[in-house]
Parts: sequence; structure tokens; C-alpha cells
Amino acid sequence: MKNFFIILIMKLLHLALKICGKNGGNILGKIAYDWNPKIFNYFKIDCPIIAVTATNGKTMTNNAIAHIFKTANKKVISNTEGNNMETGILSTILKCCTLTGKIKADYLVFEVDEGYVPVIFKDLKLDTLVILDFFRDQLDRNGEVESLILKIDNFLKTYTGNLVLNNDDPNVARLGKANPNNKNVKYFSVERYDFATDTIKEAGEGKYCPFCSTQLKYEYYQYSHIGKFKCPKCDFGNNKITTLATNIDLKNRTFKVEDTLYNIRFNSIYNIYNFTACICVSSIYNIETSIVQKALSSFILNNGRLEEVEINGTPTIINLAKNPTGANVSLRILNEDDDEKELLFVLNDNIADGFDVSWIWDINFDKLNNVSRIVTSGKRAYDIAIRIKTSGFDASKIEPYLSLEEAVNSFYSTDVKKYVIANYTSLQPTRKEIFKHK
Amino acid sequence: MKELKILYLYPDLLELYGDYGNIQVLRYRLEKRGYKAIIDRYCINDNAPDFKSYDLVFAGGGADNEQNILSEDLLQYKDNIKEAINSGVFFLLICGAYQLFGKYYKGVEGNIVPGLNIFDYYTEAITDRKKRCIGNIVIEANLNGKQTKVIGFENHGGQTFDITNSFGKVLFGNGNKFGDSEEGFMQDNVIATYLHGPLLSKNPEVTDYIIKYCLDRKYNEDIRLDELDDEFENNCRKQLLEKFIN
Repeated sequence: MKNFFIILIMKLLHLALKICGKNGGNILGKIAYDWNPKIFNYFKIDCPIIAVTATNGKTMTNNAIAHIFKTANKKVISNTEGNNMETGILSTILKCCTLTGKIKADYLVFEVDEGYVPVIFKDLKLDTLVILDFFRDQLDRNGEVESLILKIDNFLKTYTGNLVLNNDDPNVARLGKANPNNKNVKYFSVERYDFATDTIKEAGEGKYCPFCSTQLKYEYYQYSHIGKFKCPKCDFGNNKITTLATNIDLKNRTFKVEDTLYNIRFNSIYNIYNFTACICVSSIYNIETSIVQKALSSFILNNGRLEEVEINGTPTIINLAKNPTGANVSLRILNEDDDEKELLFVLNDNIADGFDVSWIWDINFDKLNNVSRIVTSGKRAYDIAIRIKTSGFDASKIEPYLSLEEAVNSFYSTDVKKYVIANYTSLQPTRKEIFKHK
Repeated sequence: MKELKILYLYPDLLELYGDYGNIQVLRYRLEKRGYKAIIDRYCINDNAPDFKSYDLVFAGGGADNEQNILSEDLLQYKDNIKEAINSGVFFLLICGAYQLFGKYYKGVEGNIVPGLNIFDYYTEAITDRKKRCIGNIVIEANLNGKQTKVIGFENHGGQTFDITNSFGKVLFGNGNKFGDSEEGFMQDNVIATYLHGPLLSKNPEVTDYIIKYCLDRKYNEDIRLDELDDEFENNCRKQLLEKFIN
């Protein structure tokens, strides 16, 4: 009865927020969870729950899976706005369930914060878990990557649902061995792309085999520590691949899985990984290939995740970067483009970003390709300016501004092609400032 | 061309908080003044380095579970390192490396990781894993008689005891222990500290202190370093010092 009333009150609150024109974020979930932390048990969910977790790429992959299922005319409930902790997921469920806790949908698709997988799915039965990657991320907030992986490993020891793992990230692939009795582990991989390297180019993790501590051997690195690896001693990494992306052509934005050619709207290697994971999930639920093809060819996210816009005739690419790998893949896209360009880098150190900005020294700013000017801004505009200067980029072509407005005004004083990298709390204010120039 | 030989210890293991930045800043400030920076890296299983043949040895911070592997490897060079320090080679040691040069590091489970025992301090981890000294930090150091504010970021569970001569007095942040008044360890040719950020990026005076020390020692002179354009660094320091200690 208690849960009935909690849901009723949350529904009324949701309605009130809606009337006020507010979305509420995770507030409904927060109140309900504080009221009864066991409320997850109350929901009657008889459709599959699919969850995506990772350091980078959760929002993109979660939204793409939801988009594919919707294209297949399925009813999907998903936290597409990225509220990915227990309260955020609870909010999403509360908005869609009946007063008796029933949920009418074909699929629930959630992106879940890496630290919250064991918390949320203690009480909700998970059908498929997708794990994309683990990178160092806000160490002062999250702690070391290893402790996060061990938490998920512990959760997986008793998990028997589908497990979709990136076989090119040793820290992800190792989780396939967490429960030797789980027969539903599926690995995906991506063939070498044009800008892959023989040695690691950017900061990475997992240099040693987690099972026998031998140094891992890589055939190639796609970006950071993502690439084709194997343990020379115990053969870790040599798994049967369920979904393999081939013929990666970022210029024409296409790739193949088996004989199917996929056209996509993005030109980055990490999105090939995200979409390969989506194709693997789609195959588990028997979604027709032609539908997946159609869905991926129209899928975009207009929220600063590789967002491509024209600002007063100037082509602009905006990308979020919360951690070194996020920034490094953005710079990869920039360096793979031979056109002349200018870069705006906005760096904040608010609580949600982590107070520690030392991670910017793990960004590879060496030999930027045809960049004629760099503007920096955010609360740590000078830190990032020093970082870029020290990498060898001409200091007279770096302009730091603490004021975002001044930074963006100066940035758009020329019509050279623009690349924008912004960290977590600076992304939306930066977009807002940029769109004023539209 | 005058040059400095720098030994970068365990770049593959001690690189958690962008510590490589310290090497980049050293190289930058040397090369801008026309000096050559020779940087050798040493990783486990490489040929034994001769520490005495370097002007500067640098080591950074790493994850807790890497301290053990390192300690074992580092200990085999104890005598050579001691000779190098006694002969005046400069050592810049951050976080985990700072701890390893003391007597020992006692981990969360009570396990003892032996240190080089070159300095008399020792470190014990706080038993509550969730409690760490984390945050921005400002200290006041004495560099050749000049009081200098040093800005960085600390993130350590280890509490370091028995420091005879600290790197600086804490103006903002924790220091060697929770709420301590002293941070790090220093002698003429050693700076050992919890400050990352990386340390040298926001503290050109510390970098230049190290560079001057190494050049003076190597070339037996009292060198005057050329001024560099530190506009970004000065603005950065001004902004952060106002934020943290005013």
C-alpha cells in the first residue's frame, strides 16, 4: 500500500512539474528512493531490461538502441536524457508505470552510471548488460578505475543474462570470465581503421593481463588502450567474436558487419564501437538488419555529442569531453580533418566535473593538424592554455578568457571551421553561447 | 649546448595524475632557453640505470596496487640511489614515489611495503578507504631563501609522519596528514611532495629552482636563467590564489 501512495504522490508531483514546464530530472526518483529504498521490488516488469554502462559512450549507445527499437515499432521506455544513477532510473520508471507498478512497454533501455550497476540491478532483473569501455575519469570523485571494475566483476559473478562486451578493451573483456557458468556472453570487436597505430598514442589503462600479470601484446591500437590485444601467456583476449565491424570508412561514414553496409551520421572510431554494440544487441532481440540499417542511418544526438552545426555559415563541431580519452578522441577527429580550423576548449572544475584538472595533461595535443588558433575558457581557462602551450603549440596563437561570452565572441570573429571541446558542466553553457551567434 | 640528463622512473606505472606533465614543463623551460633536455625512461625489466650519471631523477604517483610491484624493483637500486642523492643529483618525487623513499608504507590492510629507507619519514594509510586527503592545496615553500607559494592538487590516503624538513607550510588544504600544517619533504637537492596537478605546470618558480640547481651543479657556476613569457602561468596563479587563500 505504501508504494501505491508513493507512486500516486510522485505522479501528482510529476503533473505539477509538467504544468510548471519543468522536467524534474531525477527529483521524483530521489524522493521515492529516500521514502522506500526497496521500491524497485514493487514494479511488475515483464519486458526485457537492457542496460548500457561505460566510462564513455553511454548516452550515445543507449539512445541509439532505443532509436533502433522504436524504428522497429516497439514501445520503448528509456532514460534518453542521461539521468543514469538509481534516482534517475527510478524517475524514468515512475513516470511510465501504473499506480500498481505495472509497466507497459516492449523494452526498457537504460544507460547506467558505472558505479550504480550493482545497486540498481540488485532488485531489477536485467536481461542484457552492455559494457563499452573503462577509462580513467574524474579520479578525485570516482577513485581508481580498478576498484570500479572489481565492483562490476563482483556483480557479474552471479549474473546469467546476456552480457555484451567490447573485446577490444582488456578491462571490459576480462568481465566475460566473471561467471564461467554464464553461457550468454557475447563479444564485439572492430577491425583496424586507417588511423590506428602500432604503439599506444594516448593515456590508457590495462597494460597487464588481469589473470596472469603478463604484459599484453597489441596488434594495433585504435585509440587510447582500445585495440586488438592478447595475453601472450594465458591467451586472454582470444574470444569468439559475435559481432565484428569491418571496412571502417570514416570519411564516407560507413562500415560493414558481415555483408551489411551501415551508413551513419558520425565520423569517429568510438562511435563505430558504440554502433557495433547496438548491432549486437539488436541481433539478440531478432531485430531485422534492414531496420537497424535504417535506424542508424538517421540517428543523431543534438546535445553536444559530436554535434555538427552551422553557425552563421561557419561549420562547427561540438563535442563533450569529460576525461582524457573523451578529449583525445575529439582531437583525433580534428587531426583526421585536413582543413584549416580553430579550436575552443572550455574547462570547468565544478563538483560534477571533479575539482582536479590534472587529467588535461593526459590529453595528447602534440602536432595538431592545421589548427590556426586556440581559444580557451571556463573556470580553468589558464590551466588548459598552459597545457596546450607546453605541448609546443605557439603561445601567441592561444587566447584564454575566463568569460565564456568573450571567448565565444572572439572565437567567431573569423569564419574558419570550428571545433569545440567542452567538459561536463561547461558543455550546455558553451552551446548556449555559441547558438547566440547563429 | 648545455644539457640536462633527466631520468624518468616508471613512466608506465607512475602516471596516474598527468605526472608526465612535469617532464614536459621541464623540457619546455629548458628548450625555450636553449638548453637541451635528454630524457631517459626506466621501466621494470629495463637495463639497470646509473642514477649518479643523471642530473635529475623524476618519479610520479600511481595506483595503490602498483606500489608493491614497484617497491620490489626499486629496492635493488637502493645503494646506487643513495650515492646519487649524496653526490647531489636532484630528485623530484611525487605522491607514491615520495612515500617509497621513506622507511615504509603501511597499506589499508596493515600490509607493509618496504621503502628505500633513504629518508626517515614513514607513511601509513588511513584504514577507512573512503577517507582521503583530496582537494586543491596551496603551500608556502622556501626556495633559496625566497618565500614562494606553490599551488597543486592532493589526493592521498597515506599519512606521512616524522618529517624533519617539509617542502612548505600549508596555507590551504591538508598536507602530509589530515589538517596538517606541513607538506612534503625537502632538502637542497630533493623535493618530495603530494602535490600533483602537475606540480610544475602552475609553479614556474619551482621548475626554475630545479633547473638552476641542476645547471649550477653540472657546470659549476651561478647561472642566471633567462626570463620566459609566463603570462598564462601568472594569470593562472593570480586567479587560483585569490580563489583559495583570499
